[in-house]
Amino acid sequence: MRMTTSVLFLGTLLVFIVIFIVVVIVPTYQAQTIPSDITRVRTNIEEEGRRIYIENGCTYCHSQYIRPQDWDLGADRIAQEGDYIYDEPILLGSIRTGPDLSNVGGEHPDDWHYAHFVNPRFTRPESIMPPFKFLGDEKIKALTIYIQSLGGKAADARMARQNYWNKILTEAYEKGPDSNVAILHRNIPEMWINMPNPYPATEASLKRGEKIYQSFCIGCHGPVGDGQGPAAKYLYPPPLNFTLLKRTGVSGGIFYYQIMNGITGTAMPYFKRELESEKIWDVSNYVMINFVGKNDANIEPRGIDAAYEPVDSLELKRFKGD
Amino acid sequence: MLQLNVTSVIIDEGDYMIKFLDKTNSAARNFYLTSAFWVCIATLYGLTAAIELVAPDLFGNIPSLLFGRIRPIHTNLVLFGFLTPSLIGTALYLVPILTQTKLYSERIANIAMIIWNIFTIASVFTLSFGKTQGREYAELIWPIDILVIISFLMLTFVIIKTILNRKENLMFVSLWYISGAFIWTSVLYTLGNVVWNPETGALKGVTDAIWLWFYGHNIFGLLLTPLAVAAAYYIIPRVTGAPIYSHTLSLIGFWMLLVMYTHIGTHHLIQAPVPQWLKVISIVDSIGMLVPVFTFLTNVWLPLRDRFSTFYREISGKYIFAGTFFYFIVCIQGPLQSLPSVQRVTHFNNWVVAHAHLALLGFAGFIAIGAMYYVLPKITGREIYSKTLANLQYWLLLLGVNGFFLVLTAVGLVQGSSWLHGETIYRVLAEMVPYFTIRILLGVFIVAGFIIGFYNVIMTLLKGKEIQSS
Repeated sequence: MRMTTSVLFLGTLLVFIVIFIVVVIVPTYQAQTIPSDITRVRTNIEEEGRRIYIENGCTYCHSQYIRPQDWDLGADRIAQEGDYIYDEPILLGSIRTGPDLSNVGGEHPDDWHYAHFVNPRFTRPESIMPPFKFLGDEKIKALTIYIQSLGGKAADARMARQNYWNKILTEAYEKGPDSNVAILHRNIPEMWINMPNPYPATEASLKRGEKIYQSFCIGCHGPVGDGQGPAAKYLYPPPLNFTLLKRTGVSGGIFYYQIMNGITGTAMPYFKRELESEKIWDVSNYVMINFVGKNDANIEPRGIDAAYEPVDSLELKRFKGD
Repeated sequence: MLQLNVTSVIIDEGDYMIKFLDKTNSAARNFYLTSAFWVCIATLYGLTAAIELVAPDLFGNIPSLLFGRIRPIHTNLVLFGFLTPSLIGTALYLVPILTQTKLYSERIANIAMIIWNIFTIASVFTLSFGKTQGREYAELIWPIDILVIISFLMLTFVIIKTILNRKENLMFVSLWYISGAFIWTSVLYTLGNVVWNPETGALKGVTDAIWLWFYGHNIFGLLLTPLAVAAAYYIIPRVTGAPIYSHTLSLIGFWMLLVMYTHIGTHHLIQAPVPQWLKVISIVDSIGMLVPVFTFLTNVWLPLRDRFSTFYREISGKYIFAGTFFYFIVCIQGPLQSLPSVQRVTHFNNWVVAHAHLALLGFAGFIAIGAMYYVLPKITGREIYSKTLANLQYWLLLLGVNGFFLVLTAVGLVQGSSWLHGETIYRVLAEMVPYFTIRILLGVFIVAGFIIGFYNVIMTLLKGKEIQSS
């Protein structure tokens, strides 16, 4: 084959255009135009927030589609084509340095996001997200409104739940510490309330608990557990002062349940996606011993101890049949 | 050739300006200068971004240094500040040589170079202030898009005209790739940036992603790859004195590159809700990319048999061989990475960042630099100012890009496997710190290499030893 100028200039362009038609124009005409079950049109302020999201390049660290193999934030709904029909440009993203945000709406109340935007390490101590305080109050609020709209109608429903509980929990908080603790403990299934921490508070457990506390809790509850972490001044109702529990009483089970499930309506997030059983019991031991001052770890009822747990001399006699 | 013609300046300043624009090979030289300068800025932005991933509060609340703003500045400068101008410089040198004629218009090419620098400055400023269209690699706002397209059209015009005026009837393979790159990119850039929609530069819904990745992949595949391949195809036989291995293979490679590359943009969207048939096409053609890659490598590597040490001893040979070697690695990795089973682990994490650095800095970057060091003495009549510095730059960049590849691939595997086993993104962040810290150090090598390179280019133009014409 001999290359001529017409083959080179026009022939190759023709090949390019034909392939363009196949892989771009055909899918354009095939595209879904029906919104999915959760998709809705964004409000003006949400669009404004989306512009701030684009301007500041949030999309270079946060994707906006959930894949079948995902476990993290929003993983309960896999992305569908109809989710994106109002997006221009679409913000799928190509890197997940931070979590996927396609279903983030209603995961946290607005005040959590505000504290997180002022400095992400206030609420998430190990975050590597830049601080966005420079945006100023108005833009942070618009951005938050956009974030809360991600997930469409499902996000709206989650926000309604956040707002419902926020009202109830705020009222209880304003009535005083006893009323606050009472309502938090009332909304936990009975068996959890009565459950002692099944993990003995060994030195190793407390060390692990400390590490978890510093990675997850310290920003709101503070280094001494008094609820005065750097995020606290942005949050309402504010984070719990653990020392209050010395008077009102608490159980390992209550801690476990609230760390696992969070307290929807407040800035306390659920941790069950990122902390599995042992880590939650360890941090519960750490908080009980260091900040509450008493602990129910490894007391009855406890069944047969796990094989690794320390055996004390009294037990050893029983096991040996002496 | 930088010596000013003093008398003409005295007679007429306007006349001097025109002489400056019309001087033979001045456009190529000016594009090299453009590249050598902007790559320093590009890599400094990259280094800043890398530091922010470890110390997010260090430049906290300085809006124009926000990670999300400087990341597109880094990528756009690497693409339009560093690689493209350098490879254009080589193309503007090669086309007249291969056609045995003068460049059709040195002046148009120089004006394109001026527009090029204007839009590059404009892109840094607009992105710093958050003026972006938010589409990866197509961030630049509409007025800048128009300037890019004008530049490309001017250069395409000059190159087509030169080829039409050719004295040598046979067109060497480098000419195919060069003219292809300019023609395709002029069309591709216009389509990919949706320029008929100035407001957002985007379309609605998943369609927008398909258009974007058609553009995003091909701006590398149909611009940088052909221009780099064209440079290697010319310089390797030239320096070794051995012809390329096979004309048939070069034909196969050229057509397969055009056909395969154009199909594969959607392999960036394998896990997203786009049509299944489109994903299948993109994966099949990604594997098919092995054909143009290996035909090219066969063609340029076989002439190196018995002559490797001669070639490698040349500054340009060293860079260009390294570039082809990185092409070899990155083009085995690329097809494998398009497979869904591989993407389960590698997608969304730093594995992809490693791949991108290997492709752009390793392959296109090393060939661009090598070609520049080959061409500069030819067009200025001066030897490279310091071979030692050029060697030092080579080793700094080599260490940098290899280190980047290893450390980012490693951290990508840590991220990807952790996620698959159910760890959340947040839980893995702390694991990334040591890798990201090493990456900063490697980034320092890369920045240092390019600053040395810029110094060396300037000094070559000013003080390079004049080559005695034989």
